[in-house]
Amino acid sequence: MATEIKLPRLGQGMESGTIVKWLKSEGDAVKKGEPLYELDTDKVTQEVEADATGVLLKIAIQEGEVPVGQTVAVIGEQGEEVAIEVAPEEPQTEGSRAPARDDERERGQEASAQAEPSASGSEPQSRSNGRIKASPLARRIARERGIELSSIRGTGPDGRIVAEDVERAPAEDQFVAQSHKLEVPGEIEIVPLTSIRKTIARRLTEAWTVPVFQLTVDVEMTRALALREQLVSRMGDGAKPTLSDVLTKISASALMRNRAVNAHFDEEGIKRFPTANVGIAVAAPQGLVVPVIQRAESLSIQEIADARGELVGRARDNKLRQGDLDGGTFTISNLGMFGVQQFIAVLNPPQAAILAVGSVEDRPVALGGEVVARPMMSVTLTCDHRTVDGADGARFLEDVKAFLEEPGLAL
Amino acid sequence: MPELTYREAVRDTLATAMRQDSDVFLMGEDIAEMGGSMGVTHGLVDEFGPERVRNTPISEMAIVGAGIGAAMQGMRPVVEIMYEDFLTLSTEQIVNQAAKHRYMSGGQLKVPLTIRTQGGAGWSPGAQHAQQLEAWFVHIPGLKVIFPSTPTDVRGMLWSAIYDDNPVIVFEHRLLYPVKEDVPDKLEPIPFGEARIVREGEDVTVIATGPMVHRSLEAAEEAGRNDVSVEVIDPRSLQPLDEETLVASVKKTNRCVVTHEAVTRMGFGAEVASVIQYQAFDWLDAPIERVGAKFAPLAFAPVMEQFLIPGSEDVLEGIYRTVGRNGD
Repeated sequence: MATEIKLPRLGQGMESGTIVKWLKSEGDAVKKGEPLYELDTDKVTQEVEADATGVLLKIAIQEGEVPVGQTVAVIGEQGEEVAIEVAPEEPQTEGSRAPARDDERERGQEASAQAEPSASGSEPQSRSNGRIKASPLARRIARERGIELSSIRGTGPDGRIVAEDVERAPAEDQFVAQSHKLEVPGEIEIVPLTSIRKTIARRLTEAWTVPVFQLTVDVEMTRALALREQLVSRMGDGAKPTLSDVLTKISASALMRNRAVNAHFDEEGIKRFPTANVGIAVAAPQGLVVPVIQRAESLSIQEIADARGELVGRARDNKLRQGDLDGGTFTISNLGMFGVQQFIAVLNPPQAAILAVGSVEDRPVALGGEVVARPMMSVTLTCDHRTVDGADGARFLEDVKAFLEEPGLAL
Repeated sequence: MPELTYREAVRDTLATAMRQDSDVFLMGEDIAEMGGSMGVTHGLVDEFGPERVRNTPISEMAIVGAGIGAAMQGMRPVVEIMYEDFLTLSTEQIVNQAAKHRYMSGGQLKVPLTIRTQGGAGWSPGAQHAQQLEAWFVHIPGLKVIFPSTPTDVRGMLWSAIYDDNPVIVFEHRLLYPVKEDVPDKLEPIPFGEARIVREGEDVTVIATGPMVHRSLEAAEEAGRNDVSVEVIDPRSLQPLDEETLVASVKKTNRCVVTHEAVTRMGFGAEVASVIQYQAFDWLDAPIERVGAKFAPLAFAPVMEQFLIPGSEDVLEGIYRTVGRNGD
């Protein structure tokens, strides 16, 4: 019994995904749970696992955007007939038709002309038992430009893909090709927009339309640093706690005391959340991602460090799962490690606030009528004024400052 | 620039070599007073005498054998085999003797022998007087084989054949003898192993020998009217072969038609197609087309003969197949 593999919904609000590449070919044996293909959603690129065991009989969608629930492949037993309505232009499978005689093959050109596609005709015609017919030149050009031959329809004799067909392949691919061609140093490099990049662009542009204000406080870090050192000296097998982890814990505690900041702006109304799900902005190779530490208010700093270590590792390897990114109520963006003293973060909608964290450095501070050096840190809170008023933000920052300067208060 | 026919160009080279070099002499059937059955050596006996323009008995084996002997003794003989079909009678001398002596003597002996012959269909000479047999000889290490298609080429290449220290077989074609062309005032030797780009084009390379060069040019003109730009290349020397020029052209056009008047199967074109597919594999956008004679003995009846041998329309069809078009 063949199983149709449908595009899964991997997170709330996911309507479609883009199949980037198949990790198995037609005819390959597949085990349930094995990675089957790579899917690009607007948040992550992830491997989708097979939900059946058998032989991958048919790949219905080689690549491209697919709505959730559409059949993308069929897994079944070797030799099993495959009938799916997704690709009506596909040549009939073996067995449903007598083998072509030689003279029929000679008339192949006419035949392929008759099979000239109707409206939907983007489906390749050049396949015969899984082998794609393409000229050596067409193959070379496709290889050099990273174009999948399976996505191209051949116009040569017998439906063979010829060089001209590859030259006419989709524009996005040609962008890549052209950037490969540039040989002169100093030429403009065109980086194709990935799904993630497009999402970053769209969401941050959206954020720019939100009325925001910023509040900055300077925090004396003597005790927070001491706390961190204490944690490090006592740590077990887990991840080494960082100042970011301390900040996550402190922020979560402050959020629980200032629910107005732990909120989403929504057309239905402002949503105030019962838990502090703190997003950490991570500069991953594929772009900015914000994995979320769920229920940070209920975790110890060591637990936060462990969770953060795992998430950041997955982000760096481009292996984040949709669940890693969902449900954030607040975001921390820390550029302190780059020596940035203070900056303004752009809101991460629909979240109502984001905290921009600068570096810790010794600064002259007036204390009891004298100027002394103290380790100081500036944090800047960006607030969505539709959701958060100035005083709400100020009270939250007041708590953050107090907890960092006297961590015992956060417990 | 004098205008010479192909026949006159051959005669001009023979005469020029004999005038400047007493080692050069001719042997063949009826080549003296009669001037050869195709009239190529007409008048040479008057200038050079029967000692240097020698009629022979009707024995191709003797003609070539005597030529080999004279060549090894330091002469530069040019022997004529009246029809290339009769090369079969001298094959022992050519293949086992001429081609081998230099190698087997460790280079002590040289065989600077030139064997001129002619053949080709198109005038109804029948199955025994019109074959194209160049493929048999390009298969033999130790032989050089040339097939010039124009007066200029035959003039310069026959010269190089006479002065080559190895046996060279010169294939001429019966229908090319009346072809006229302006040739350089002074005879310019043309080295072997250099193909000639006869016509430049962008879409298809036609590699043609002998009369097929001219038929391919007609096909190229016709294809041009259908916006298919055809490059025509004449290898001229089949052994050694200028692979570089052929491959470079196909890398440019991405398509190739190989054509000769000889039977397609196992023909010289099969080797050319192999060279192209191996060296230009990743540049090919269509299978290499081969255009030649059908696999049958040549017929006397002109209609049947024309059916068997390739014409410009066959080349044109080959061209259109490579570009995936019907021409209408």
